[in-house]
Amino acid sequence: MASFLLIRLLRWSAGLLLILFVTYAMMYYGAGDPIRMMFIQGEDFDSTDEAVMRALRAKYGLDEPFLVQFGNYLNKLFQGDWGRSIRLQVDRPVLEIVKFRLPISMQLGFAATAIAAVVGVALGVFAALYHNRWLDRLIVSTVLFVTSIPIFVIGPMLLLLLVLILKWIDVPYGWNGLFHIDAALPVAVISIGPLPGIVRQTRSAMLEVKGQQYVTTARAKGVPEAQIITRHMLRPVMTPVITTLGLIMIALINGSLFVELIYNIPGFGLLTIEGIRKVDYPIIMAVAVVGTLIIFISNFLVDMIYPILDPRVRVQ
Amino acid sequence: MSRAAGSTKISRVVDDGSVFDGGQRNLWQDAARRFRKNWLAVAGLAVVVLFLLLALIGPHIAPYDFLEQNIMKAFQGASAEHFLGTDDLGRDVFSRMLHGARTAALVAFFTTIISLIIGVLVGTWSGIHGGRTDQFLMWISDLIQAMPGLLLVILINTTLRRPIVNWFDSLYEQTKNPFYLNTLWLDYVLVFSALALIGWPGLARLVRGQVLSINEEDYVLAARALGASEAHIMLRHVIPNALGPLIVAVTAGMGGAVLLEASLSFLGIGIQPPNASWGSMLEEGRRYWQIFPHLMLIPAVTIGLVQVAFVFLGDGLNDALDPRRNS
Repeated sequence: MASFLLIRLLRWSAGLLLILFVTYAMMYYGAGDPIRMMFIQGEDFDSTDEAVMRALRAKYGLDEPFLVQFGNYLNKLFQGDWGRSIRLQVDRPVLEIVKFRLPISMQLGFAATAIAAVVGVALGVFAALYHNRWLDRLIVSTVLFVTSIPIFVIGPMLLLLLVLILKWIDVPYGWNGLFHIDAALPVAVISIGPLPGIVRQTRSAMLEVKGQQYVTTARAKGVPEAQIITRHMLRPVMTPVITTLGLIMIALINGSLFVELIYNIPGFGLLTIEGIRKVDYPIIMAVAVVGTLIIFISNFLVDMIYPILDPRVRVQ
Repeated sequence: MSRAAGSTKISRVVDDGSVFDGGQRNLWQDAARRFRKNWLAVAGLAVVVLFLLLALIGPHIAPYDFLEQNIMKAFQGASAEHFLGTDDLGRDVFSRMLHGARTAALVAFFTTIISLIIGVLVGTWSGIHGGRTDQFLMWISDLIQAMPGLLLVILINTTLRRPIVNWFDSLYEQTKNPFYLNTLWLDYVLVFSALALIGWPGLARLVRGQVLSINEEDYVLAARALGASEAHIMLRHVIPNALGPLIVAVTAGMGGAVLLEASLSFLGIGIQPPNASWGSMLEEGRRYWQIFPHLMLIPAVTIGLVQVAFVFLGDGLNDALDPRRNS
């Protein structure tokens, strides 16, 4: 068990390191000279003194060979020094920006996951209970339909519908806390992303559990149907749903990219887009690091939780 | 030469034997019958075919040049002159949509071809040889699949553009060859390669799985015993057997490529103006959505429609080509 987890941990850590290295290499060779970037203001960056730039480069260690720079970067990364923004919010520590932006996206993400989990599990359970009847078909094809429309299409269309046509809400703008009405639409739109996976997993797991003998036994003993579903069926159903956590996180990250752009929420997704549009390479690196970490931690968590939820895995 | 011909003949007998199932219809007719019963999938197929057709002939039937500006006629609604109205620069929206269809189809086509080639090569190599190379390749593909694809594509697209443009500039300086001066199509190449990079792992895994499972079959053992080469076994046994799942995966991949291209262009890092893309049209239309909602609505509805069509088509193909589901 411990060695299984250790191997997993090593694999994910090696993966994290590889992705950091590739991203750093892409930034190093692709993003252009960061010192020159700092001085780009309009068209007159050529007037900057070459000697000054060289001095600055030496100051930030940018005249070192590539591998030395990467080593330095990793070293500082672990010490909590993520560099400073060079164009977005000039000279502000990147870690500070991330610390401000990430919680906003995480609140949106958790709220959206909660909604997607409740709605998705409920839909999956109903679809399985009415297997191959019209309710099942309706749920499956509606979920397929709604989730196949891209978020950046649904988001603006809902704005159009709710603001211009129905006039139910004002244009949501910015971030006023999770419980402000402005957060309702973004959360709803983000929650669409992880929904199909949850519904599909719940439905197929329910179908498998439905025919089990202990369910028949419970029914024969006269246990109420609702209790059979919640007590006997839902626990084995949750296991495969939880294993899709990695996919859920991917859907959330994708969702926050678009939703935060569409509704002007200063979260992590918008930071990603702004950083990339302005080629602010310390920000892009930070975004890649955090995004990869989120994905790897959630995958590692699944690896850890899975044997607890499903004792059969422990044997292997 | 004669040995190769001989082995082909022998395995054809083996093939005929394995196809023997007592029924009159073959696998593909069966699948087509199942597919036709699913009207959502048929509708999806119709939309996808229409989309590909418009991409092919669209720019020839477009009433205006997609770049032609006329500020005097900006922000017009639908009229006989401008079928879907005009945008903020007075460009004909219908013509731009047609051109956007070509962009989307080009990206879908080339991305799928590139990732298919890489995926099939890596998958068969991994499946046949196994060992450390297999482990390494699968580790890489796991990593790519675990990452949010969009984030990867964005990173690749933003970082590779500058060095390639610089490289082409310096090549032009050295050679004075006008080929290196025109960098319009560079956007396309960048988008193709970035999308193919995240597209191949799924296909590679699929092919590898098929290779591993079909390699266990007795008729493959028989073919091998008769001296058939690995390449022959791949082409005659593994690929035909993997064709069903591959078709489903390729359809999904094409839909995914159309989606990712639109996403990138929506975020402003895909196909750059003045080239037309549905994603960038949606983003441009979003600026005026409260006053001229049609500029946002037209690309939004089109992207949504094509995506839904691809998904239902893929779903229908999956059901039709997987007979086990039907039983």
